[in-house]
Amino acid sequence: MDIYDVLIRDFPFLLKGLGVAIALLFCLLVIGLFLGLAICLIQLYGPRSRFVQWPLIVYERIFRGIPIIIMLFIFFYGLSGVYDISAFAAAVLAMGLRSAAYQSQIFRSAFQSVPEGQMLAARAMGMSSSKAIAYIVLPQAIRHAIGPWTNEFSSQIKETSLAYVIGVVELTRQAHYIITSTQGNVLIVFAVVALLYFILNRAGNSALYAFERKLSVPGFEK
Amino acid sequence: MNNKKPSWVTYFSLAAVGLAGTGISSTALAQDPYTVGIEASFPPWAYVESGEFKGIAIDAMSAIAEDQGFEIEFQDMPFPSLIPALAAQKIDILATGLTVTEERAEAIDFSIPWWETNDVVLVPEDSDANVFTAVCCGASVGVQGGSSQQAWMEENVINNSDVDVSLSKYDSYVTAVDDMAIGRISSVIVDDTSAQEYINSGRPVKMAGKIYIRAPLALAVTKDDSQEVLGKLNQGIMNIYDSGEWQEIVSSYIPGVVAPPIPGHMPGFVDTYDKPVSGLPELGNE
Repeated sequence: MDIYDVLIRDFPFLLKGLGVAIALLFCLLVIGLFLGLAICLIQLYGPRSRFVQWPLIVYERIFRGIPIIIMLFIFFYGLSGVYDISAFAAAVLAMGLRSAAYQSQIFRSAFQSVPEGQMLAARAMGMSSSKAIAYIVLPQAIRHAIGPWTNEFSSQIKETSLAYVIGVVELTRQAHYIITSTQGNVLIVFAVVALLYFILNRAGNSALYAFERKLSVPGFEK
Repeated sequence: MNNKKPSWVTYFSLAAVGLAGTGISSTALAQDPYTVGIEASFPPWAYVESGEFKGIAIDAMSAIAEDQGFEIEFQDMPFPSLIPALAAQKIDILATGLTVTEERAEAIDFSIPWWETNDVVLVPEDSDANVFTAVCCGASVGVQGGSSQQAWMEENVINNSDVDVSLSKYDSYVTAVDDMAIGRISSVIVDDTSAQEYINSGRPVKMAGKIYIRAPLALAVTKDDSQEVLGKLNQGIMNIYDSGEWQEIVSSYIPGVVAPPIPGHMPGFVDTYDKPVSGLPELGNE
């Protein structure tokens, strides 16, 4: 059977793999978003006690400093003594926690780019500090964060392909099935896979860019 | 003023931690089907075609499960992850073209051997290398990472001699053979069953020669085997061999090949081959 016929016949399975990759991407980005934002808020506005701040710094350094493939193994095999974690959940957790470390820094610089005077002015007008953060700083910081967040989105899409090492059957693994069952055709199969990743990446980037423009404050663009 | 902690920050953080904790689901309860770990890019033993697991190990494992009356589900993983997964009890049974070796026997428990392989030196179709020159003197040899062929090369050539050979380790044998086709490596050492597959499917390779190692292949279970799967596997293998089903499965994937007799040679270094063998008490090394 011709490789093109096989590709057409098995294309639904590549799409299924793409679906798994998208599900993984979505879950890890959501964990990263909420946890990253929480870390950033505690780092900037939380108690200054070193018992609060130090663990956050250690966490962030560790997750930014260790290759994700090693994190995947640690979460999948290392946790198995405590809890029988599924491969997908281990991948979501390892990649989500790492993304949180990166995203916390994205948000931190976004928050810090809002001039401090605004916070002082809001407080002087009688707003509580949580209200000032919620209504004055956060809305601006989110806008600043979208650009760098798009980068994080793009790099995480590509890294989902590593989850196959612990047995998550995502797009790359599905491609591998076609390659091995047809005894070869590495180039053409991976070209198709590359195209699928590229389309996903472009679609996500365009959506985020549209979002950025929609949220932009007139007179406030660069 | 920054010293005062805004309360919603706390709630928000707690919510985020809570969210991170959800979505983690457990896979195995005691009565669940056994999870059979396979490397599904290893034809003819295990592979995926149109979304379905196929191969000798897949069909045989299903036949054994039916014979012994237990349920199974397959879990695909890259080969180097399989033995750690078994040791960590992420899978209950390992069923791929797994060679019985002394190091592995220390980490996992083997069933009775169900196959015997020898290794083949594959070279490009137009190569004039013979079995000696293909793994010697400036050759670059490809193997699958973590495979018994890698161990054999390291033990016999790389570590114990001055022979100038470089060894490249691949994710799977198919990529190794592809890499040889574009000329990056000069030969590939692979088991004879897989080698025959590549040649049958028209890949531009030929056999330069055979290395007779008579390596037994077997299924494997976790070392403590708390669910006592090993005895069922041994009986199941024996039953499908005796009924002729085993030969039918083998013939459907590699036509013209006669399956080696079961039980084959049981190396003395494997403790599960000491008499009595689990499930087959009349067998075993004295």
